[in-house]
Amino acid sequence: MTDIPSGSVARTTMDMVRGSLSRRHRKQFILQALGITAISLAFLMLFILLASLISTGHKAFTQTEITLEVFIDPEEISAERLPRGNFDDVLAAALAADLPSVDPNDRAAMRVVGGILSNGAQFQLRDRVVADPSLIGQTIALSVPVSDPYDQLRKGLLDRETPESLRRLDDTQIAFYDRLIEIGAITSSLNTGLLTNADSRFPELAGLKGAIMGSFWALLTCFLISFPLGIGAAIYLEEFAPKNKLSDFIEVNINNLAAVPSVVFGLLALAVFIGWFGMPRSAPLVGGMTLALMTMPTIIIATRAALKAVPPSIREAALGVGASKQQVVFGHVVPLAMPGILTGTIIGLAQALGETAPLLLIGMNAFITSAPATPFDSATALPTQIFIWADSPERGFVSRTSAAILVLLSFLIMMNAIATYLRSKFERKW
Amino acid sequence: MDDLRAVNRDVGTNATKISARGVQVHYGDTHAIKDVEVDIKERSVTSFIGPSGCGKSTFLRCINRMNDTIDICRVEGDIRIDGDDIYDRTIDPVQLRARVGMVFQKPNPFPKSIYDNVAYGPKIHGLARSRADMDEIVEQSLRRGAIWDEVKDRLHAPGTGLSGGQQQRLCIARAVATDPEVLLMDEPCSALDPIATSQVEELIDTLREKYTVVIVTHSMQQAARVSQKTAFFHLGSLVEYGDTDEIFANPKDSRTESYISGRIG
Repeated sequence: MTDIPSGSVARTTMDMVRGSLSRRHRKQFILQALGITAISLAFLMLFILLASLISTGHKAFTQTEITLEVFIDPEEISAERLPRGNFDDVLAAALAADLPSVDPNDRAAMRVVGGILSNGAQFQLRDRVVADPSLIGQTIALSVPVSDPYDQLRKGLLDRETPESLRRLDDTQIAFYDRLIEIGAITSSLNTGLLTNADSRFPELAGLKGAIMGSFWALLTCFLISFPLGIGAAIYLEEFAPKNKLSDFIEVNINNLAAVPSVVFGLLALAVFIGWFGMPRSAPLVGGMTLALMTMPTIIIATRAALKAVPPSIREAALGVGASKQQVVFGHVVPLAMPGILTGTIIGLAQALGETAPLLLIGMNAFITSAPATPFDSATALPTQIFIWADSPERGFVSRTSAAILVLLSFLIMMNAIATYLRSKFERKW
Repeated sequence: MDDLRAVNRDVGTNATKISARGVQVHYGDTHAIKDVEVDIKERSVTSFIGPSGCGKSTFLRCINRMNDTIDICRVEGDIRIDGDDIYDRTIDPVQLRARVGMVFQKPNPFPKSIYDNVAYGPKIHGLARSRADMDEIVEQSLRRGAIWDEVKDRLHAPGTGLSGGQQQRLCIARAVATDPEVLLMDEPCSALDPIATSQVEELIDTLREKYTVVIVTHSMQQAARVSQKTAFFHLGSLVEYGDTDEIFANPKDSRTESYISGRIG
């Protein structure tokens, strides 16, 4: 208004409109600028998160290995004593052959040499010999992971400039490593163990198989419980229940349930499922049941919204030709609401996949070195595995924690992509 | 407005199909229909006219008990079809709606194929014994809906892909597929363009050979063109009911006269 001179006479309507125009444009401009800023900030945060995860996590996707010519000495390993045998001595001897500076009879030095290899190397060799005892007496080529400090050294995470007393590898060990590099024995390969091994105390052996299987069983249980119950409850509440005080009360409480902190569900599960029902601790079955408690309200709310979104004209059309209420609901409304229901369910499951607190309370953060074969076996889940690794002191677990987060995130992105795909594929135009 | 001549008024001898006595409808605290009494003749077209909110649609929806689906709606009084009280406890609304078909304001085909749209009613009521039976019913219904020639080559295309007028005729075909006695139409042409409207109006005129048609309309010309009897509703009451040409030529009630001459509405 101020840009119109106060002395002007006979201000027409157009003048007044014009006067307010610049103010209105300015308001719109500010609103848009704020919106763009908000989105940019959100993207920046996301970028920082992903960048930091990838920059630390990518190192865990490769694994330093050493290739050895192993002579399986019949004096150390005999077919009769399998699966027992001095596999570690055989490996150390094979390594010593590559390191001329080491005296094979110096036990202390040989221990240091053996320490280059991962603790899992001897089991890898044992498994091969047990599978084929005729190997005894022969020389075989074997690729085994190196132990964590050497892995760190190759990845540049162990600084050679650090004073020797503070380093995890002393000068002799580094000399061994350099010698092995020189003869080309040390290579780096894709770390498939990250997905195919279960947890381990040794970072170079630790993998996510147990956690992935644990999460799989827990989510399957969660889905099997929460999907039918959630949809059933939603259909009843939305389509059949009388609208009265009781159904209002139930509705309010379901919405409240969706907002209950997850740790509370964990305590509930600990008290009821494990305490009263005596179900096994750390089992994905119990984890899934706990997650189902949390997923159910999400599914109920999403299903009700999807049912509500089906246009009343479709219900009227079906009622008009004489369909019963049940035929209207199951023949028309539910199929049309299905994309919305599935999207809600998948998003609910994705939340459940990332849920940590309730699983900690029911013991799914135990140290378990084998993948669960059934939902009744003890297991960890992906988020609790991240929690365990983040808590571990070994340097190797730092990058593995980031890698595990990346694995979890990629599962989440996959689930959300499926939800988006389903929504766009089955979306109907009215 | 010069087309208020009515067509073939030959309903004098027809028997009463639907008779309503003392019908009251309450929506919560609102008294939507006040003491309506009307006798609707068999095999004729009866139109309900009146200003918005006068209760004509509400009354129409009493005839197939569609108001039952609204929780706060209460219907009192007596509506009989062929002498049967349709609000009797022994009458199942599902059965009633097979007998009284309905066409809605906005074309609302199911998001299924044209064939499935028409076959749905007969299927749920178990009217077809075989696949061939069903094909027969679907073809006959589509012919009655005057849309067969347009869709016979694409029966399995989605019904929602048709034009508005075609969709509405498909909905009429769907309504007649259960072989009802009465067809209720709630402003069936209000969402259609003039050409589609005239096609549907022609269709309504042919439907009266077989069905008792009750149509709610905002257009007085339409009432004059398609109906033999007209009922004028105002503020929930049935003000005047009679032969369409009588109502339009010399209305007895001053409110009817005001409405048809354009002073209220």
